[in-house]
Amino acid sequence: METLQYWIQGFSVATQPLNLLYAFIGCILGTLIGVLPGLGPAAGTAILIPITFNLDPIGAIIMLAAIYYGAMYGGTITSVLVNVPGEAASVITCLDGYQMAKQGRAGPALGIAAIGSFIGGTFATIALMVVSLPLANFALRFGPPEVFALLVVGLSLVTGLSGRSLLAALVMTMLGLLLAMIGMDPVRGAPRFTLNIPPLYDGVGFIPVVMGLFGVGEILLSMEKPVLEIIKTKFTDLLPKKEEWKVSTGAIGRGTVIGFFLGLIPGIGAIIPTFLAYVVEKKVSKHPEKFGTGVIEGVASPETANNSYANGAMVPLLTLGIPGSPTLAVIMGAFIIHGLTPGPFLFKERPDVVWGLIASLYLGNVILLVLNLPLVGFWAKLLEIKYQYLYPGILLFCILGAYSLNQSVFDVGVMVVFGVLGYIFRKLDWPLAPTVLALILGPMMERALRTSLEMSGGALSILVTRPISAVLLTIAVIVLASPAVRLLGKRAGKDD
Amino acid sequence: MKRAWQIMSLAFVAAAVVTLIASFAYPYKDRLGPGPGFFPVWLSLITGGLSLALFAQVTWSRKAPFSPGSPLPEDRAGTVGIFIILGALLGSLVFLDFLGFRITLFLFLVFLPIALGMRNWVLILVFSLLGSFGVFHVFYYWLKVPLPMGVLGF
Repeated sequence: METLQYWIQGFSVATQPLNLLYAFIGCILGTLIGVLPGLGPAAGTAILIPITFNLDPIGAIIMLAAIYYGAMYGGTITSVLVNVPGEAASVITCLDGYQMAKQGRAGPALGIAAIGSFIGGTFATIALMVVSLPLANFALRFGPPEVFALLVVGLSLVTGLSGRSLLAALVMTMLGLLLAMIGMDPVRGAPRFTLNIPPLYDGVGFIPVVMGLFGVGEILLSMEKPVLEIIKTKFTDLLPKKEEWKVSTGAIGRGTVIGFFLGLIPGIGAIIPTFLAYVVEKKVSKHPEKFGTGVIEGVASPETANNSYANGAMVPLLTLGIPGSPTLAVIMGAFIIHGLTPGPFLFKERPDVVWGLIASLYLGNVILLVLNLPLVGFWAKLLEIKYQYLYPGILLFCILGAYSLNQSVFDVGVMVVFGVLGYIFRKLDWPLAPTVLALILGPMMERALRTSLEMSGGALSILVTRPISAVLLTIAVIVLASPAVRLLGKRAGKDD
Repeated sequence: MKRAWQIMSLAFVAAAVVTLIASFAYPYKDRLGPGPGFFPVWLSLITGGLSLALFAQVTWSRKAPFSPGSPLPEDRAGTVGIFIILGALLGSLVFLDFLGFRITLFLFLVFLPIALGMRNWVLILVFSLLGSFGVFHVFYYWLKVPLPMGVLGF
């Protein structure tokens, strides 16, 4: 009953004309970010935070969330037409999507992706509504040791599933944690490692770091091969054939379930669900040998899982305050900028924000479907923008976004430095996601550990004698030690 | 690639040592419990250990964790493009406060397309005017986002 009241409240917030407009603008901007090569969802969302500075918090969060899931769909367009994923989660879509485009069937590939995304996103939102309140209530029982253990699990997952070398991923996690030490000590409030540079008293800006690593770094990397070969096609036929619907229905169902449940695990990232959905689809298929040659279920399942994951991943963010990917970490940063702290208390203190956001996910999925099916041709046209204009345009917004956070050129400098580092780490194939998540979670982690030790009089045993934290820490150890988890991460590939 | 991984892991070892030394400037413990130095000390030690282990793995393990090939750009054009973009970013960093957003970004948006090979002057002019003065107008006046004005006051 309580949940139903909150649902009604959420819809009354989300359907306000201004909030609908923000969701609509967010969907357009998100799709644009997904479509444009050189701009992923993490950097794209970070760049667009300044747009929301003067909006009320609910409108701002609704718009940024719409940008996030809009980008998830937009990435499909480049995967299908250019064989280059607009965002990392669409990597797997390249396999069959691009082959379909080469056979002149880009329309049905993009059509089924839009429909699958809509269905996956909608079902995941329903599930999000059902599970989030009980989970938030459960999380209210967590003390500092449990919070610390949960953060360790999140970082272990993002580390264990990242890249080709566990050691390199661990080092990148430590880099994020060390960067998080700069600024005010989160427990005592004393400055640390600030080198007497005033902007560093607030710490290393998380948003400029994301813009640098994922925005500038990506553009520098793209400069090595800037010209894309686009498959030109007419989008006269967007819907699949009758027999394709049959196989797509099952694929969409499986993708929805896989995406949502993996989204519940903090730190899993957007690539694993799409990768797993594709593998499962291949396993259940009567003709697995045809995968990779342009079969529609090879597009339907991962694309559905992608958007289902995007909505499911809101659960750990909203209920526990733990972002599962760099993009969600940016959204968490936006919450904080607007004076809100994601986590169980937000459900008690600002139900209008939480439930308004959740309700807006439904509406956003409808907007995306309406927007994307008829506008596929328009989005595809954007791929023809010359990189000599596109990259300077993206960099312009990076500069604007980094500067406007604190009206500080120092943050622009941070962005440039991390852009160079992002380029180098990408060249070395060292994962970036662990650094970003560790940077935003570091202060929470330190606070939780030190408070736990204060509670226990300095005994570390408090972390293993309390049942929930003991279980969570065991999970973290299994994740890091398990070859199966690392193999999954290696196969799935790169950062969110 | 092996050399690049070795250099990077050693750079992390060096960073860990520097951070460890700097951490000793803060109290490890105080009367309430762990002090501001507690977490950085342990993080530095763990980072140093992991980086050394990575260096050892890269240097002596038979199973190379890196892919074959060079980390350097494949052709000269790519390298030049990267330096052009970095140069433009550094230029904007230097001049942003002094010249203000509009002039700095106008120059930035004129320079980059030309340096990257574009010669359509009308398009470049329209692009750079919209990207600098147009974007400034939208963000400064409509969205109320503070942006630098520069010494010339606009």
